[in-house]
Amino acid sequence: MTNALPSPETVVIISAFASIYMLVLLRKTLQGKFDLYDFMMLSMVAIIPAGFALFPNLAYLVSHLTGVVFPFVVMFGALFLVVFAFMHNMTARLHRLERQNCALIQEQSLLALELKAKESGRPGG
Amino acid sequence: MADMSLGPGLGSSDTCRSAARQAGAPRVLLVIPCFNEEASIGGLLSEIAAIGRGYHTLVVDDGSSDATCAVASCRSPVARLAQNLGIGGAVQTGIKYAARQDFDFCIQIDGDGQHDPRAIETLLDAYRSHPTNITIGSRFIDHSGFCSTPMRRAGIRLIVLALNGLFTGGRITDPTSGMRLLDRSAIAFFARSYPADFPEPISLAWAMRAGLTVSEVPVEMRARKAGVSSIDGIKSASYMIRVLGYILLARLVRAP
Repeated sequence: MTNALPSPETVVIISAFASIYMLVLLRKTLQGKFDLYDFMMLSMVAIIPAGFALFPNLAYLVSHLTGVVFPFVVMFGALFLVVFAFMHNMTARLHRLERQNCALIQEQSLLALELKAKESGRPGG
Repeated sequence: MADMSLGPGLGSSDTCRSAARQAGAPRVLLVIPCFNEEASIGGLLSEIAAIGRGYHTLVVDDGSSDATCAVASCRSPVARLAQNLGIGGAVQTGIKYAARQDFDFCIQIDGDGQHDPRAIETLLDAYRSHPTNITIGSRFIDHSGFCSTPMRRAGIRLIVLALNGLFTGGRITDPTSGMRLLDRSAIAFFARSYPADFPEPISLAWAMRAGLTVSEVPVEMRARKAGVSSIDGIKSASYMIRVLGYILLARLVRAP
């Protein structure tokens, strides 16, 4: 099988997308909307395709090493891996925040009750 | 285990509390989780007061959008949750309160009027004669009163099979009953962790996994006075599958 190289148009489009996307991500990270971990994981969506387009020989080497015929399958595999790792951590983080949110709401209601009881001179409600 | 000489004069004031403490009478907190129960909560609190046992009550308003809080606060302290946390979060709020205020017993009863407050004494009597960490008011021992739909009963039987087959610590017939008495050990355990989803059956699995004991006593329940159940139709099947999954998970995971 011949190693087909990406056309200059493909390289330009992917590079342009990667640059713009990374700039947007960087801006949002600097604004504090993402932390460094989010920035790194989300930027993989630009870095991985750009790596495959800009270094096609490396892409072929990786596909050869992994035994996959088509390099784009390796690329999508890598992207899925990043997305699932990101989702896994995000789910764990969401659950932790949910538990903390629940505990805070409970605390707030109990403290309000305690305060009300103290104001009215009753012990604990 | 607490001394069970429950005095009839147990009041909600400080004086009554001191008197009850001196007399050795246990302090009982009734936790009443509510979500949009303005039509039934007032009647329930009146029924509790009419019993004349002087139980402490705590209504946990789970982010109701109606006048539940206003109606309940005329007759009982109300812990108002800023957001709807679901039944698990609401009940745990009451349990945390019981733990902090050093109550001997915490009894959960539903705010929809399904539970007859006169059965509270039945739970306490059962504890007096056979102390276990959790005492459940079961509809399915005597099969009297409202016993849910046949479809739900079939589902409950599956949960019963899973709980009794996978855990030791007590034979259960009504794992979804929301009327249950917790003693100090159970209060301390559930104040630390309580399931947010499907709390009644899952909490039993967690408790038995941790070595707490469970018993049941027959009680008669009534149909809801107002509102509709949140678990209906296709949700029942989803409920069953998820509850069985959680019970299995509780069996596989070690106690924290």
